[in-house]
Amino acid sequence: MAGTSEPTDAGLTSEHDVGSRRDFLTILTVAAGAVGIAATVWPFIDALAPNADRNAVAHPVIDVAGIQENTGITVMWAGQPIYIRRLTKQQIADSQNVVPDSLPDPASYSERTKPGYGDIVVVVGLNTAAPCLLLGNEPSEPRGPLDGWISACDGSVYDPLGRVRRGPASRNLAIPPFTFLDKAQIQLG
Amino acid sequence: MDIEAQKAWSDRGWPDLAVWRARAETPSLAREQPYLDTLPALITGTLLVLAASGLVLAVYYNPWAPYASVQFIKREVNSGWLIQSFHQSGTTMLFGAVYLLLFRGILLRLYKGSGEFVWLGTVALASVLLLTGWLGYMLSGGAVAGASLRQATLSAETWPGLPGLLASWFFGGPHGPGTLARLAVLHAVLGVAVFALVLLLRTARKAMLPAPGAHPVTFHPYYTAQYFVAFTIFALIFALFAFFAPHFGDNPLNAAPANPLIMPINPTPPWFLAPLSAIRVVLPGDAGGVIAVLAMLGLLFALPWLDRSSAPAHRSGFLYRLLVVVLALDVIALGFAAACRPSVTAVILQIVFALWYFFHFLVLTPLVTALEAK
Repeated sequence: MAGTSEPTDAGLTSEHDVGSRRDFLTILTVAAGAVGIAATVWPFIDALAPNADRNAVAHPVIDVAGIQENTGITVMWAGQPIYIRRLTKQQIADSQNVVPDSLPDPASYSERTKPGYGDIVVVVGLNTAAPCLLLGNEPSEPRGPLDGWISACDGSVYDPLGRVRRGPASRNLAIPPFTFLDKAQIQLG
Repeated sequence: MDIEAQKAWSDRGWPDLAVWRARAETPSLAREQPYLDTLPALITGTLLVLAASGLVLAVYYNPWAPYASVQFIKREVNSGWLIQSFHQSGTTMLFGAVYLLLFRGILLRLYKGSGEFVWLGTVALASVLLLTGWLGYMLSGGAVAGASLRQATLSAETWPGLPGLLASWFFGGPHGPGTLARLAVLHAVLGVAVFALVLLLRTARKAMLPAPGAHPVTFHPYYTAQYFVAFTIFALIFALFAFFAPHFGDNPLNAAPANPLIMPINPTPPWFLAPLSAIRVVLPGDAGGVIAVLAMLGLLFALPWLDRSSAPAHRSGFLYRLLVVVLALDVIALGFAAACRPSVTAVILQIVFALWYFFHFLVLTPLVTALEAK
């Protein structure tokens, strides 16, 4: 306001009151402005996040109820083949009887399976040494001496839990992140 | 580290910071300036919003399936409908502000004297933005946009000589699946390059600053307050458009996908391109249309020299201001005439309004300004 040099007051408001009122208004305005800016910026950030379709692809739900004992299925996820196999009671007993420390890469039965769902094995179906696909998931493929999986390129042998037993490979098959939604469904990722 | 030590550290490493701080703390600005002087800053803000929303759109846009990708953005992408609405309403706000800036410049004769360079830069900015807006409209993949693109690429192929060579080079050959991919890149590049022009204008505008007067003030809090209010009102209008009128000025026929076998019955471009579209009827043929549009913009560039008054930026007389208001109404009428269903009346009206536009600049402006300068 041009022309006024000092705020005219009839002595009813002190300069301290005027100052603190201005401070209050400033804080209020800045707070409101911050909320407004955050509300405006959020859709831009949210739009770049994966939408429902991509989340469904990123975290697929696999039906495992249809897998027969001693058979496996192959699922492509994150660019990798995921082998899901249901073990027989004999295979479970044999795996539990193995002393973990005698293995090239020690791992026990409970470390390779989820508690309560002990007959399902989920592994990434790639050899951990020379990179190539593992044979043994399809019924027609050879499974190797331990009825698990065998590598076609370097002959590494894996047991039904995916632990390496023999061959150039020295690490067990990788286990992808997954959860059991219930006895019949697995969610990957 | 206390504040003085921090300042010393930053001044040593980045000396310009000390210069800017000193300038900000020294009162050097006039005490009060009109609110419409904030228009360039509002335009810059709108360009930033368009760049941000354009970036998000570009992540999901597919120039090889344009209509489907726009639908994907609107339906599947999180808040995609809002980002697209921001981009479309932002375009409306941008051209509203740009046209207002141009109108104000012509009305107040701001192109005279020290404002000449800024005026030329402003018209250049408006021209580049109109081209960018047209390219963006092509990317929508709608029926009307497709018709406009097909017409443009066909002209590019049939023109002889140098213009045909340039036009064909611009579009990369006859219309095909790859044309939109090319135009999408051009749209994005122009949209970002325009910031360089905006920065140039910002520095040039210093020549137009009024004298500080007896009691100069600092930018903060006097002008931060003014810009704050201006931005708030502008953002409010923007929100009104984004949420209540997201299809403002859009041709409803553009909601259908582009189809080379179907010509839309009323191929009007968006509202900010409508006056340019209408002025094409003045000269025959496609080439004539382009020449007419270039002449329309060229007259704006030539305005500082068409204005025959010798005194720099003197207060314009009543007659000149009346004629400028008539010019604004004429341009609006041009837009409406372009939006009409094609008929003989519409074409006659377009010719009349277009001829008045050229008459205003080529005849009336020199005469009236020379008259009022006496």
